[in-house]
Amino acid sequence: MEQRNAGSCQSSPEFLVSRIKEGDKEAFMKLVGLYQQKVFVLAYSMVREREDALDLVQETFLRLYEKINSYRTGENFSAWLMKIARNICLDFIRRQKARKKESLDQLGSERLDLADQSEDPARFNPGEIISQAVALLPAKQQAVFILHHYRELKYEEIAAELNISTGTVKSLHYKAVRKLRKLLARPLGGEL
Amino acid sequence: MKKCRRYRQDWLAFLRGELDPARQQVMSEHLKNCSRCQQELEDLRKLIGQTDDLKNELKETMAGLDWDRFQLTVTERAFGQKAGREQVRPSTGLKWHRWQPAVAGLVAGLLLGAFFTLLWLRPGHLYQSPAAKETAVNLPAGFVQRVDLALAQRETIDYLDRSQYLLLELVQAKSVSQASTFLTQDKVQELLTEKKYLNNQLNEVKLAKAKMLCDQIELLFLELIQLSPQMSEAELKGLQDLITSRQLLLKINLVKRELRPSEV
Repeated sequence: MEQRNAGSCQSSPEFLVSRIKEGDKEAFMKLVGLYQQKVFVLAYSMVREREDALDLVQETFLRLYEKINSYRTGENFSAWLMKIARNICLDFIRRQKARKKESLDQLGSERLDLADQSEDPARFNPGEIISQAVALLPAKQQAVFILHHYRELKYEEIAAELNISTGTVKSLHYKAVRKLRKLLARPLGGEL
Repeated sequence: MKKCRRYRQDWLAFLRGELDPARQQVMSEHLKNCSRCQQELEDLRKLIGQTDDLKNELKETMAGLDWDRFQLTVTERAFGQKAGREQVRPSTGLKWHRWQPAVAGLVAGLLLGAFFTLLWLRPGHLYQSPAAKETAVNLPAGFVQRVDLALAQRETIDYLDRSQYLLLELVQAKSVSQASTFLTQDKVQELLTEKKYLNNQLNEVKLAKAKMLCDQIELLFLELIQLSPQMSEAELKGLQDLITSRQLLLKINLVKRELRPSEV
């Protein structure tokens, strides 16, 4: 699941970004190769649809390319990229919800949300409900939860990736789990 | 309750058996007697079960994807978009980027020029010659106004003195020929010119009474200068009556006294 590591200096994100700023196509391709799967994990855990997640990954890298000049040297590149990806995913989820609501309104149906799904046995899908709940987590808690559960990183590895202490990672993880328990208490009912 | 806080961040590690045996033992002991933590652990176990399902699903999904192709597609799209945007952008024909340094230099020069001109034109401009620096004095507020007033008063008194002398000669003249010996056109013209310069000072320091009197004298001198070459006896008499009836000499004395600084 892990991408190949950016070991040498020439593969470091900062170096690649500086090359991209000068119009280096190959550097951009390298950067995509380094981070595409990480972004996919985030997108998929939020939308739970393969094609949608791929579209979101692509949109994230296109946005990255547009905003490459706003990246400041020394900034945590991974966190910066994940922030872009998360915002794109959230926008997508909002648009999707609005579309669903519109079509349901046209059919005279009730609004669909996390809680309503549990009341409709035909639509009940625990996996989808968890994805939606994960998408609702605050950014840092979400990042820690996804890195720990879906990318199977240890607390220490997450701390290194997000540039925070292991204690903070533990605390964020605990908060994420507590929030998920609250979010999922009603939709999953007896399941959780 | 307080004890529970000590354990809650470690329940996940407890579930996975990642804790050291001593810690695992302590938590197991606590769990036996704490229904709250039992519930928390149970919830966590279910949540992890659900996320494990998602994790497995994610692994399968990712394994079926052609990442190299995706990488290439995204790169081509990003650079294609850029090329497209550059194509769409209308050409100005002037190649703006080539002129940028020159235009920037010109603008900077104009701005600097304007800035220094502004500094130079300011009453207390920043740059002063060494000589100016030596003579520069910080005057207290109101001092300049007081000096202006004193100068205006002094010059007005001087004007009134000289006018009074001429008017007195005019009043005392027995004939036109006697008057014309001392009432030369030059003298009158000189006083008219002096009055012209005095006007500004009188306006600035607001000496209303003095100004009114000086204006009357000025009118009389203007009439006198028009008449003087061929002034008749009747015209002389008319002027003398005017000076007397308007009590110009008396008024001059009164105004001079007001303008003179107190000697006490």
